[in-house]
Amino acid sequence: MLINLKTKIWLTICSIVLIFSFFTLLYFPQKQEKLLVDNYNNEVQNLSNTVALGFKIALREQNFEGVQTAIKFVQSDPRFHFVSWLTFDTIWNADKTKFQLQKKVNLTFPEKEHIDTSIITNDSLIVKQSDFVVNNTPGAILLGFNTSKILEEKRKITNASLLVSGLILIIGILIGFLLARNISIPVLALRKAAIKVGEGDLSQKITKFHKDEIGDLSEAFNKMIGDLSKARTELNEKNHTLIDTNQKLNNTLVELKETHAQLIHSEKMASLGELTAGIAHEIQNPLNFVNNFSELNAELIQEMNEEIEKGNMEEVKSIANDVLQNEQKINHHGKRADSIVKGMLQHSRNSTGAKEPTDLNALSDEYLRLAYHGLRAKDKFFNANMKTDFDPAIGKIDVIPQDLGRVILNLITNAFHAVKETTKKGMEGYNPTVTVITKKEGEAVILTVKDNGDGVPQKIIDKIFQPFFTTKPTGQGTGLGLSMSYDIVTKGHGGTINIETKEGEGAAFIVTLPLTK
Amino acid sequence: MKQLFNYRISICSNYLRLPLIAFLLSMSIQVKAQEKSLVAISHQSGAPAAMKMSELRSVLMGEKQRWKNGSRVIIALMKTSTSIGKTTSERIYDMTGDELNKFWLALVFQGKAQAPNFFNSVTELENFVAQNPGAIGVLNKSANDSDIKDILIDGQKMF
Repeated sequence: MLINLKTKIWLTICSIVLIFSFFTLLYFPQKQEKLLVDNYNNEVQNLSNTVALGFKIALREQNFEGVQTAIKFVQSDPRFHFVSWLTFDTIWNADKTKFQLQKKVNLTFPEKEHIDTSIITNDSLIVKQSDFVVNNTPGAILLGFNTSKILEEKRKITNASLLVSGLILIIGILIGFLLARNISIPVLALRKAAIKVGEGDLSQKITKFHKDEIGDLSEAFNKMIGDLSKARTELNEKNHTLIDTNQKLNNTLVELKETHAQLIHSEKMASLGELTAGIAHEIQNPLNFVNNFSELNAELIQEMNEEIEKGNMEEVKSIANDVLQNEQKINHHGKRADSIVKGMLQHSRNSTGAKEPTDLNALSDEYLRLAYHGLRAKDKFFNANMKTDFDPAIGKIDVIPQDLGRVILNLITNAFHAVKETTKKGMEGYNPTVTVITKKEGEAVILTVKDNGDGVPQKIIDKIFQPFFTTKPTGQGTGLGLSMSYDIVTKGHGGTINIETKEGEGAAFIVTLPLTK
Repeated sequence: MKQLFNYRISICSNYLRLPLIAFLLSMSIQVKAQEKSLVAISHQSGAPAAMKMSELRSVLMGEKQRWKNGSRVIIALMKTSTSIGKTTSERIYDMTGDELNKFWLALVFQGKAQAPNFFNSVTELENFVAQNPGAIGVLNKSANDSDIKDILIDGQKMF
């Protein structure tokens, strides 16, 4: 703040006082003096004219009353200095062909004044001449008035100007004090209070000094503080309510998270349920091998013992080799069963969130078979073609195998369900087929799970990735499968998941995963 | 016949012409002498009943401003454009009308005297004198007014 309010008020007052002073000390006196001098000149000229007219009447009419009055009037004026009666002598040249008028002073009053005809107005004297002609004889009156009266008037004007200027100055100072008191002090008080309010002190009150705009401002300020205080109290109350609500919301959120986790777990369990039959079928095969080869080995060992007793060592060795081969097969199928169990465990485990090099083709193939056998185990009449078109160029890509496995399983299971529903319609010549295609395209890998079911209706396409949306009967689907898949692909792997479908012709879910190092 | 009659008349006229002319001349001189005579009149109050010519001149030239009784001398004159005024100017002031005007103008200009009052007619002058105590005027005959008196100048009514 370079110039405060008080200074501005004083500057304004000073400017006004200076302007007034300029007018009262310089402009108006100058104008008045000029007017005075002009009037004085006119007055003297008029008096001179009056005397001249008196002369003219006296000489022409022999009426001396006018001139006598005029002369007395002029002579009685305190400013009177002299009055001269000028006559003009005719001066002829030698040939008396030309003449000129020579002005001379005939009489002067007072007589002691020796007036020259060339006298003119000067600083101390105003001289006016009035010519007249009577009976072709010219004459003139020369009237002289002193300027002492003008000087005195000028002095009076100057004194009056000084007095007025002094009064203006005093009034200006008084107005300045009053304004400073009426404006500056309340404004400063307002500023101080506003600063304190800004610092949080809402107990500020401004005293209403005057019944004017400043007073109104003080009143408005006090009202504002009151409103502010009230608003703050309400805000605090609402804040407390908000804190409570927030706490409740947090609790709800925690509950929701727990519910969400439970739901996810339920979804996993559900998918695991879907897998159980398939897994059982998958384990059954190696177990059959293990059992069969174990039984075979038992028979071979018995046969080998008999041959040992016979001493037929060659046959013993041959049987031992068969046992060994069978043992290797048992081991192989045992490992196969072990692998299936481990896969199941991996599926049921919570994701670590860590990406690891994974063979997408193997993963897809495994879940395709598991899903199919799972459905087959539940419904022995269900049958479908499984087609794969894996791009070997993909190799191992960095993904979170547990999460991506769930996505693949979910998509394949949905595809089998779709073709199963279409199969139920008993359409002649219908050949239910689920196809899994992988392909490397530039810096991305595309996984497509396609079926030739009824397709997804257009009206629900926008909703299928929403949580808890399901077309399955209540209790048979959580509605979280595609939603979770969407999250895993987009948020977990930075990819996209899209659907291409045509009602009555099938659907294809296309997962695009960017290749990351 | 008519011409004869005119001729006789002409002869008769020649015989009568000279005495008639002489008579008319004498009458004219007498009238002119009467016209050149002046009478000083004044209000009953103020001016003395008789004064010398020099005193009259002194009064009429503004040299004497007060009468003995203290009243102010007020001069009343006929305008110089009138025969009485012209005579007054010539005989008393020994000035032409223009000179008289300038004389009084000079006195008035210098505040030395009260200017005379000039009138166009005798009646006006007589009325003025009759109404103003201290007034003195100059006419060619006595005034027929009880408020006005004639002033003997050098012992004569007419001068």
